[in-house]
Amino acid sequence: MKNRTGPGVVARLLRTAIALSVAVPGLAFADYEWNFQPPVSSMAVQIVGLHAYIFWICVAIFVGVFGVMFYALYRHRKSVGHQAVQFHENTLVEIVWTIIPFLILLFMAYPATKTVLAMHDTSAPDMTIKVTGYQWKWGYDYLQEGFGFYSNLATPLAQIENREPKGEHYLLEVDNPLVVPINAKVRVLVTAGDVIHSWWMPSFGVKQDAIPGFVRDTWFRADKVGIYRGQCAELCGKEHGFMPIVVEVKSKEDYAKWVDEHKSKLAAAADDPNKTWSLNDLVARGHTIFDGNCAACHQTTGAGNPALGAPALVGDKVVLGPKEHQIDVVLNGQNNGKMPPWKHLSDVDVAAVISYTRNSWGNKADQNVVQPAEVKTARK
Amino acid sequence: MSSTPHTIAPGEHALDHGYAHHPGGIIRWITTTNHKDIGTMYLWFSFTMFIVGGLMAMTIRAELFKPGLQIVNPEFFNSLTTLHGLIMIFGALMPGAVGFANWMIPMQIGAPDMAFARMNNWSFWLLPPAALLLILSLFVPGGAAAGGWTLYPPLTVQAGMGMDLTIFAIHIMGASSIMGSINIITTILNLRAPGMTLHGSLRPICCSP
Ligand code: HEC
Ligand code: HEM
Ligand SMILES: [Cu+2]
Repeated sequence: MKNRTGPGVVARLLRTAIALSVAVPGLAFADYEWNFQPPVSSMAVQIVGLHAYIFWICVAIFVGVFGVMFYALYRHRKSVGHQAVQFHENTLVEIVWTIIPFLILLFMAYPATKTVLAMHDTSAPDMTIKVTGYQWKWGYDYLQEGFGFYSNLATPLAQIENREPKGEHYLLEVDNPLVVPINAKVRVLVTAGDVIHSWWMPSFGVKQDAIPGFVRDTWFRADKVGIYRGQCAELCGKEHGFMPIVVEVKSKEDYAKWVDEHKSKLAAAADDPNKTWSLNDLVARGHTIFDGNCAACHQTTGAGNPALGAPALVGDKVVLGPKEHQIDVVLNGQNNGKMPPWKHLSDVDVAAVISYTRNSWGNKADQNVVQPAEVKTARK
Repeated sequence: MSSTPHTIAPGEHALDHGYAHHPGGIIRWITTTNHKDIGTMYLWFSFTMFIVGGLMAMTIRAELFKPGLQIVNPEFFNSLTTLHGLIMIFGALMPGAVGFANWMIPMQIGAPDMAFARMNNWSFWLLPPAALLLILSLFVPGGAAAGGWTLYPPLTVQAGMGMDLTIFAIHIMGASSIMGSINIITTILNLRAPGMTLHGSLRPICCSP
């Protein structure tokens, strides 16, 4: 009995502790499901380093405090007949235990403050991208290049509803990822179009709330080519879990090529605002716009969703009524944004989606075509 | 007052009952001003809310057990998280604290009861209706509040009448909690036994005068 509780146990505990302390930093980068994602920017490296540093201070305090406590409990136990020492107040001890925590605090606050200041230093960027959170997708505007696009979830509904096996990047894949060049300081202006979202890219060390009516900025400088994934990090309604962020970091040359391709693609697809569209073209285009933007609430069948208060658009009096009113509802929203405003869609897109609702699911509106020019005049 | 011993005349003891009589059954609990009774009700209420909030938490975890939608849809999932947070904080944590305070503080500081015994009754009895409103909000059209327990606008502005019920419930719970804290503070400040210092009574852990 005696030798079991003796130094043997202590030695074994020590060996376990040493083994653990070697294993934990190893774990830090082994598998990001248990720890931070591998950092891809100097900012993320700094954050992971700060975390490890504070973590080891906590470990030292834990071992110190509980070590002394367990030693005192064990050494002065009743069974060895220890007598309590009676004394009150010891100025030296009180000064020491005030100064030591103060110093610990300083040693933690200094690097933490440095990191926070570095996060906020958005000066001298190489390029600026505006990020806008919407229910439930992200919009990216390349301010220097003068173009922008939306980034929607690409995971098929069948996977979400367990009708198909989950893909490798389940819920972390989008149709149009944000593309940035390597080693460029990217300033990110973050805002939102409806409710608060948060743009979170763990491997870049970036998380910034996207607040409607405010523009906040942050930055990153990605230092490795690759595809990185993040998520909206502020509860923003029903599909908060379905608006991921994907950033593709390309080499400088590949990035320049992507910008050129993107611009020529846009030029080809650019809509002439004064063109008169045929009903078929409008409805075809409106179908895509509707499924990508409106179906989240009104359903692809136009049947609506009572839980969200989204009315059925089948046989709806607004959809079948005068088109001016529907243009107004779609552009500006209704009922405090329960039906969100869609001003940020182009004139053609708004015209197309309205024409689509007026000619689908058995709807036959008298005024069944809305042209982009009408939307343009209706904008306030 | 004379110092002669008081003798009870025949029949006079009946008058005592007017003061000492307590109703029984449910009326006892509804009308009680006894700090231990009220403390007990607070603690049972807190425990009940902990179980209700805990069931919601278990449903959240069960849904998250595997990727994909399994047992609840995303709107209801958000409602569960929101109500879990609100119920745990306003229904379990805060009433739990006032419950322990009701039981222990008068005994620790040698007070006969809490300072405002009737307000004590009220501050407890505000809680069950508030909890009912919160739970009722799950069943109204549009569902319960689903914007997280932080209730950030403008997301909360998009909610239906579930949000209105939630706001009402939180106000009632807030009023209850303010009344509870005023009672605790006043009791500690004014009802300490002679000779007990404020310093002594503010040490609930070691509780030595
Ligand atoms: C966030 C959910 C949501 C999305 C996305 C959405 N709507 Fe709505 N929509 C609503 C709600 C809720 C209402 C009802 C508002 C009210 O209570 O007045 C509504 C109302 C409408 C109405 C008026 C119906 C009526 O009878 O008042 C039209 C038309 C409409 N939506 C079209 C669209 C179109 C077109 C899109 C896509 C561009 C769209 N909605 C996207 C939620 C949504
Ligand atoms: C019964 C054991 C509990 C379990 C299993 C549990 C589980 C959870 C889970 C899964 C979440 C969601 C976390 C997320 O956002 O991903 C959550 C949120 C939360 N929990 Fe608990 N919890 C428990 C007890 C408690 C207690 C006792 C309290 C407080 C006294 C509490 C307060 C909260 C709060 C405030 C939130 C945030 C809600 C929100 O985001 O709106 N929980 N809990
Ligand atoms: Cu979001």
